[in-house]
Amino acid sequence: MQKAAILEKCGFFIKIGRYKMEKTGAEIILQTLKEEGTEVIFGYPGANTLPIHDRLMESPIKHYLMRHEQAAAHAADGYARATGKVGVCLSTSGPGATNMVTGIATAYMDSTPLIALTGQVTTNLLGSDAFQETDIIGITMPITKHSFLLNDVEEVESTLKEAFELARSGRPGPVLVDMPRDVLTASCKLDSKSNNGQRSKKQHTSPKEKLEQIKQIATYLNRAERPIIIIGGGVKLGKACTQLSELIKKGRIPFVTTMMGIGSIDSSNGFNLGFIGTHGNELANSTIHHSDFILAVGTRFSDRSTSNIEEFAPLATIAQIDIDPTSIGKNIKVDLQLISDIREAITEMIPLVEKKERPEWFQRINKERELSEKRGSREGCGPAGKLISMIQDVMPEKTTAVADVGLNQIWTVRSWQPKTPRGLITCGGMGTMGFSVPAAIGAKIGVQNQEVVAFSGDGGFYMNIQELATISYYNLPVKIVVFNNGNLGMIRQLQDLFYGARFNACELGNKVDMVMVAKGFGIDAGRVSVNDPESGIEKMRKTDGPYLLEVMVDPDTYVFPLIPPGLSNIEMIYRRSD
Amino acid sequence: MNGEEHLISMLVNNKPGVLSRVAGVFGRLGYNIESLCVAATTDPEISKITLVSKSNSDSTERTKKQLEKLVDVVEVTELGQIQSVQRELILIGIKLQQEHRAEIARAVDIFGCKIISMKSDYYILEVVDNKEKIETVLNYFAPLGIEEIARTGVIALQKDK
Ligand SMILES: Cc1ncc(C[n+]2csc(CCOP(=O)(O)OP(=O)(O)O)c2C)c(N)n1
Repeated sequence: MQKAAILEKCGFFIKIGRYKMEKTGAEIILQTLKEEGTEVIFGYPGANTLPIHDRLMESPIKHYLMRHEQAAAHAADGYARATGKVGVCLSTSGPGATNMVTGIATAYMDSTPLIALTGQVTTNLLGSDAFQETDIIGITMPITKHSFLLNDVEEVESTLKEAFELARSGRPGPVLVDMPRDVLTASCKLDSKSNNGQRSKKQHTSPKEKLEQIKQIATYLNRAERPIIIIGGGVKLGKACTQLSELIKKGRIPFVTTMMGIGSIDSSNGFNLGFIGTHGNELANSTIHHSDFILAVGTRFSDRSTSNIEEFAPLATIAQIDIDPTSIGKNIKVDLQLISDIREAITEMIPLVEKKERPEWFQRINKERELSEKRGSREGCGPAGKLISMIQDVMPEKTTAVADVGLNQIWTVRSWQPKTPRGLITCGGMGTMGFSVPAAIGAKIGVQNQEVVAFSGDGGFYMNIQELATISYYNLPVKIVVFNNGNLGMIRQLQDLFYGARFNACELGNKVDMVMVAKGFGIDAGRVSVNDPESGIEKMRKTDGPYLLEVMVDPDTYVFPLIPPGLSNIEMIYRRSD
Repeated sequence: MNGEEHLISMLVNNKPGVLSRVAGVFGRLGYNIESLCVAATTDPEISKITLVSKSNSDSTERTKKQLEKLVDVVEVTELGQIQSVQRELILIGIKLQQEHRAEIARAVDIFGCKIISMKSDYYILEVVDNKEKIETVLNYFAPLGIEEIARTGVIALQKDK
């Protein structure tokens, strides 16, 4: 017994005699993860997570060792976005946990279902400022859906199950589970104590009330002369794409998306007017502005989509459907509301929507389309946009693109035409530079039979450049396209347009040889000019393993049109001199 | 912080960390919490939080939404003046000066305060009433030399349920 106690203290596990029936906290965690469908964990170890890493050797769950905990969270996020499953990331306590914060916040803003497991010092040391102790629950409170501290090994299983339930139910989001080391090494019989709390809320609308609201929204929709649907990220999360597509076709209703909603419905069916907001399509923005009825589905009307809310869609009656009651009417006052699972709501609405041709509305939209094309709104992504389309043309249809942040993000989301709802991954809510490479790692691991291309700017690329090591170590065939303009391009554009071209703190310079850097990490790479990219694209396409394509771009290549801060959705500017 | 006072009543799970999550919402939006009362309800798993904070109406809506997002918050209600009864308890310690003795006795009578401790020259009075009345009492006693006060903050119940 004494020996057993000593061994246990050192993190060893005894599987003899009476211990046989019992499981340690670490084992319970891994078993529960497996039961919840977890196949991979993106993580980074520390002394406080070693009990888990040790047991992982016997688990069917595959652990990917990332090179930074922020990247572990982004990878789990990318995995979740690409697959629709819950992503799992793991870090040690203290610095490991704080490194994950940006990744957790990114997942929170875009409602990605994520379980963040963090190591913690032993319970008797909590609050003693012990080595590598951090109040990660306190730090992440505003950026998780919920967080748990595992106090007792008996609660591990039920807590973890609840964490999964929370992460994927309702409006999904990240849930953090803080795991003191002694809880990981303590043991108990599985399933011994349930964690009973009243976590379900009493905000459910009755089915009858719901049906009334659905009928009412359908009536408005049928009556409207200039209706439009706004599709937010919630439509993908709620797996309602097919249903919504059916409703759109039946009622012949044009739609726009938010940035997060891009790809929800096959882009090329004629009803898609593009995405709205600051960097959105002119046609989408102007059509919203002139519509008389808006059905908003799975969007919270972020300020990026609405621009100046006072002037947003001044003529429209607005109906909003969302599963998250707190998203309804939060940013924009709505006239009709429905708190519901989106798929259920739309399915019930389809038979109530009339078949209608709406010739006048489409005529007007088509005229606007021609006008905006004349104004040059399509060329706004310049040669970079063309290059992105060229890459899409040579890649298999189901390729997933992952955008970073900056000009490159806008170029990507405006030029890549996703063929499946999950065909374009981008972090809309946080705008986290450095997202694309680690998220692409997660996406690739999630959808191994599909190609994944990450697009990034040089600034964003440097932010998680260490993940090239992960890519080459696991030989993950991820393609990376870095637009190198030697600058923080989007910052440069803002300074150019709104700060009298007084450029400061935006030049990164051209001293780095990215091709050599990539090769140094063990990844094949090539360099092309954005105006003459064919050979590079072909080489990338032909390479079986990972490949980095550095694309040289003129720093004055910006993105147009855009809505200057504070203006309304129809006050776009088209060029530098506007 | 400008704005009117808003009285918010919440049912929350009686668990560690819940109060700091709730308070965190106000801190994040830059609103001060003017008063806060928390205790378990008849169901020991559920606590009631009564909270007064200053903000304008729009942002109160936003605050409520953020509170409702919290997993451990079961229900959030904003209570108006009309639909609720409100009470606060305050203890007032007063150094007694002989010339004020009669006046204090009279005030205790008028305001319905209770003297709950009386040492040779130090009184402690208890007042239970709504906020307005409590302010009146405080204003009255202020010139007589209040040494110390402790107040619970407002608790409230909806008049009809
Ligand atoms: C982590 C982080 N830091 C700062 C910013 C602010 N920011 C937004 S875009 C941008 C410039 C991006 O530059 P780069 O990655 O080179 O891409 P480009 O705009 O040139 O395509 C910056 C600094 C951010 N979004 N994220």
